[in-house]
Amino acid sequence: MINSLPPGFIMFIGAFLIPFLPKLGRQVYMIFLVLLSSFSLFNGFGTHLTINVLDYNFIINHSDNLSLPFAIVFHIAAFITIIYGSHKDDWKENIAVISYAGAAIAALHAGDLFTLFFWWEATAFTSVFLILSGNSTRAYRAAFRYIVIQVGSGMFLLAGAVLFLYTNGNALLGQMSIDDTSGLLIFLAFGIKAAFPFLNGWLQDTYPEASEVGTVALSSFTTKLAIYALARSFAGTDILIYIGALMTFFPIFFAVIENDLRRVLAYSLNNQLGFMVVAVGIGTELAINGAVAHAFAHIIYKGLLFMSMGAVLYRVGTCKGSELGGLFKYMPITAVCSIIGAISISAFPLFSGFVAKSLIMSSLGYEGLSFIYFMLLFASAGVLHHSGIKIPFFAFFAHKSGHKPKEAPLNMIIAMVIGSVLCILIGIFPSIFYQILPYSVEYQPYDFSHVLSQLQLLTFAAFAFICLWHFKIYPPELNSTVLNSDWFYRRMFPAVISNIVDGLKILNEKFSLNCFRSFSTIKNFFHDIMFENKVIDREAGFDTQIVLQIFGIIVFILIFIHLK
Amino acid sequence: MILLKLIKKFGKINSIVLFICILLLLLEFVGHRHGEFKIEEFLFFPALFGYISCIIIFKVGVALRSIFMRDEDYYD
Repeated sequence: MINSLPPGFIMFIGAFLIPFLPKLGRQVYMIFLVLLSSFSLFNGFGTHLTINVLDYNFIINHSDNLSLPFAIVFHIAAFITIIYGSHKDDWKENIAVISYAGAAIAALHAGDLFTLFFWWEATAFTSVFLILSGNSTRAYRAAFRYIVIQVGSGMFLLAGAVLFLYTNGNALLGQMSIDDTSGLLIFLAFGIKAAFPFLNGWLQDTYPEASEVGTVALSSFTTKLAIYALARSFAGTDILIYIGALMTFFPIFFAVIENDLRRVLAYSLNNQLGFMVVAVGIGTELAINGAVAHAFAHIIYKGLLFMSMGAVLYRVGTCKGSELGGLFKYMPITAVCSIIGAISISAFPLFSGFVAKSLIMSSLGYEGLSFIYFMLLFASAGVLHHSGIKIPFFAFFAHKSGHKPKEAPLNMIIAMVIGSVLCILIGIFPSIFYQILPYSVEYQPYDFSHVLSQLQLLTFAAFAFICLWHFKIYPPELNSTVLNSDWFYRRMFPAVISNIVDGLKILNEKFSLNCFRSFSTIKNFFHDIMFENKVIDREAGFDTQIVLQIFGIIVFILIFIHLK
Repeated sequence: MILLKLIKKFGKINSIVLFICILLLLLEFVGHRHGEFKIEEFLFFPALFGYISCIIIFKVGVALRSIFMRDEDYYD
């Protein structure tokens, strides 16, 4: 029975024992859970567990060549995150990390839409505590926005799943089309979590507000789960190519002007997701391999970059580019790990980013999509600019900031070194790395043309930065907020609603229309929620969510019984 | 002598990067560098593309500052 449970399930359930364990025992126990969970990876491909409820087969554990690489890297990420966070004595955060990772891994093994929905929501509800662990008013408000959007994504998925079941008679998680309403709803649900353009505000808004450990965990799972889901259901959907290209393109400029270095990384994360979405959109075997390889490598190097910035935040207390600099002398190991992460994400040959990104670029070449190819090439230069140079340069070099912190704690260093070693190993031995990809494709990333082109592109982009910095053209970092698509629901919609209600109120006063009397109450309600003039009661916020959830589930059951 | 002066003026690390850049340009003549598309085979294409992209990103980024940048406590 235990063998047929999906990997990750044991982590999700086992998390509830954590409060009863002492600090050291907790860390050992969490690592033990990850190892135990990873054993079920070797069960072989196929459906291992289905449960029949109300005449419907929930496919709880289904694994194949697409879910396996994601499951492997999710386990690695969980392992690294646990080591990275082991200096802290915070059982709530520990529970959140392990149950979140467990839910994400279990979601990879869902064989039908309703099982996926369950784990989809589980990742949202477990991860929100990681944002709350940021332990500030900002973090609390961000967590509130985060859960609303994540649950919103879940509701789209549920609605799509119910419609899909109604039209097709089954809800198997397979290839879908965006031409049907059900497919479109599910596509939107995945799109919110994959941070499509204009649906991406939550990512840059909330990730940097989490604790240093929380951000590392967050960066690994939710968005890559969405990429997996897209690869499973919407591979070869043309529109994804254009959506992905936009995703690679726009975050670059925002990352350049952003001051908070963890937020820069969140923009860069969005840009990297774009590469994967383009590859899923192409949908050929080579491209899907590219998307999976990129997700695999990306989880490790992005985790590494977030870990290094988390270490800086932990020691210095800030992550703002304008207040950092000159830390190389005091945190050399963190700096070197950060540079390795930066080189990997920039896709320098011999590092993991190169062997993964080459697959995507080559598949674009084979399909003859020249415009998208050059957009992605431009984005590659952009990645070098904001993640490759900006992150390590402004944190560890640039000007002297006056901070004299100690080196990061030993456990953080160990976690970062593991990440760095993996980045290098993947880069040096691509043929071993390619073996875990879904399709067996003969591909050689290291040939004269590839390597020379990539080196020329990157070194000249770096040289341009050097020139700008040397001749003092590059402006200094400024304390600021950069507007992103979250502005629409944090400022514009509330303002519009508020103005409409104001107008109606004036009408009401002029003509004394009774029907508009209640609008002032509505207006106050929106003011409280959106403008955050009053701090909303914490429990009240979550209550609303839980009520919404229960409401959704009741509707689902009613429709389900009705259909049967 | 002139070279040493230049290195001193431009900084050691910067000079090393410049040296690598020149070396990479020279490597172009060692073998045939083919690309995914014809235009990529144009002499020094990736180098020019990388350099110009980085300048464009910087220029657009700076221009966007005036549109999208607000005070730090804008949402508070």
